[in-house]
Formats: sequence, structure tokens, C-alpha cells
Amino acid sequence: MTTQTQHLQKVDHNALKANQLTIIALNLLAFIFNLPFLAAIVAVVMGLGSLLKVPGFLPLYRYFYKPAGLLKPDVLDDNPEPHRFAQFLGFIFMTGGSVSLYLGASPLGWGLVWLVIVLAALNAFGGFCVGCAVYYWLARLNVPGFSKTPPAGFFPGMKPKARA
Amino acid sequence: MFNSDVLIRAAIALAIILGSLGIYLLYNWTLQFRTRSLFADLDPKRTGAFTLVYFTTPTCILCKTVQRPAIQKLSQMLGNALQVVEIDAAERPELADRWGVMSVPTTFLFDPSGRLRHVNHGVTRAEKLLIQIHGGK
Repeated sequence: MTTQTQHLQKVDHNALKANQLTIIALNLLAFIFNLPFLAAIVAVVMGLGSLLKVPGFLPLYRYFYKPAGLLKPDVLDDNPEPHRFAQFLGFIFMTGGSVSLYLGASPLGWGLVWLVIVLAALNAFGGFCVGCAVYYWLARLNVPGFSKTPPAGFFPGMKPKARA
Repeated sequence: MFNSDVLIRAAIALAIILGSLGIYLLYNWTLQFRTRSLFADLDPKRTGAFTLVYFTTPTCILCKTVQRPAIQKLSQMLGNALQVVEIDAAERPELADRWGVMSVPTTFLFDPSGRLRHVNHGVTRAEKLLIQIHGGK
């Protein structure tokens, strides 16, 4: 159980959710219609998001989900770094999956794509971010570059509830 | 329209989604079943009242600043219709483990018949607890 206090930032969890929902939807379409290029596009967008330190599909949240009233900002006190790391992990899996698909290793490729779908769904619907949990474990092991601790009172990776 | 390959893939996707949903429902059902038997061990109990089992720790800042005032507000509003059982998870880690508590604050809301109504992982405001007591989500 974690109870440490630290300086938290404002994180819009619905921007993250929009990212996850889009990743799930596009990956499902890619699998159902057997479109490896769509999975590759998801990988590229996640990679760009990791590079720019924002959710890859943030423009969709700004210009579609929010104006359409599908999602409203849900700003919580949280660490943004673990979420960036989670997206980066997703990018690695998606890249691995896309490369496998283009090399003809379909079971491995689609397996990795499904892994991303399941992890994104767990985050979007269950409020548990596996990538964030991995980040916090690495921080606990004093791995360089991983310095943040979970918000006080929350299991590593669980969505915080305190509104900013 | 759609070839059989697409239909097979759609069926696989649906099976995985339904399977995941099934696992989630099974987990919730297990939690309900487990806490029902654990609830019977709680003492003291007031009959005819809702029970809020509240897990906290002495070092949990959010518990002190947000969750406890919310529960106090709720207690004042409901009077004898609500009993609060506060458990220090740091003092009784075995109890927190048995209840499946992974973070504090966590609150379990039981109706007067001892049936688990809601599990709240994290801070839950008085308004939300009140809605849960009145039968909402």
C-alpha cells in the first residue's frame, strides 16, 4: 500500500481515455478486416505521441470527442510520466505486432495487437494502467529515469480519484 | 458483402470481448460472495442500517482531508440509518488482504440486509455515497 506524498500535476484522464478508446477501435477494425497497415498507423501515432509527450490521438479528443460531447475533461492530480511510459510500452508492442504482421508471423502480430487492446481496455474501463504500474515498479527498483511514486493512497497504476 | 474470413475474425473478437466481460463479472461476483461472508464477522452491527466499511491508514492524506470529512457529513445526514466501521489497514493488513483492499481509502457499502451494494476504490465523495445508498450507481 502506498501512502507517500509528492508534487502531482493536472492530468486530464479523459484525454487518456479518448486515446485508449481510439486505439481499441482502430486495432479491432485492423484485426477484423485483416488490415496490418491500420495497426501500423496506430503504432506510428503512439510513437509520435511518445515523442511529443502527449496522448497520440489527442487531436481526436480536442476536435471530435470533446466538441461532440462524448467526453468531458476529467482533470485529476496525477503523475503524467507513467502514462507517457504506458503509451511508449504500447508503441513498442504495436511496432512489434506490425513488424510481425508484415513478416508473415500473423499469430504473434495479432497477439501483440490484442495485448494492446486488452491493456487499453483495462485502463479505459477498469481504471487500471498496467504500463503505469510497471513504471512505478521500476521506480521502486531505483531504475534511472523512473522517479515518481503513485499518488498517496493508491495502488500503483490505479486511477486517482482526487479532482484537481 | 463480408467474406467468411471477416466474419470469423469478428466472431473471434466478440468471443475475446465476451470472455473478458465474463472474467470481470466473475471477479465482481467473487468479491460480492467473499465480502458477504466477511461482513458477517464484523462487530458491532446495528440492524436495519446501511453499513460503510472504510479502510484507511494513518499516513493517508486523502483519507484525512477528503474521505473522512465526507463520511462524517454522510453520518450527520443519515444519523442512525448509517453505521461506519473504520479499519486501519496498516494495523490490520491481514484484514485488508482478506477484503481485497489494494489502496486506501477503500469503502464497501452494505445495505441493511448485509448485501454488498458498492465497492469504491479511492476517494468517494459524500454525494456519491448518498446516491449509492439511494440505489443509484
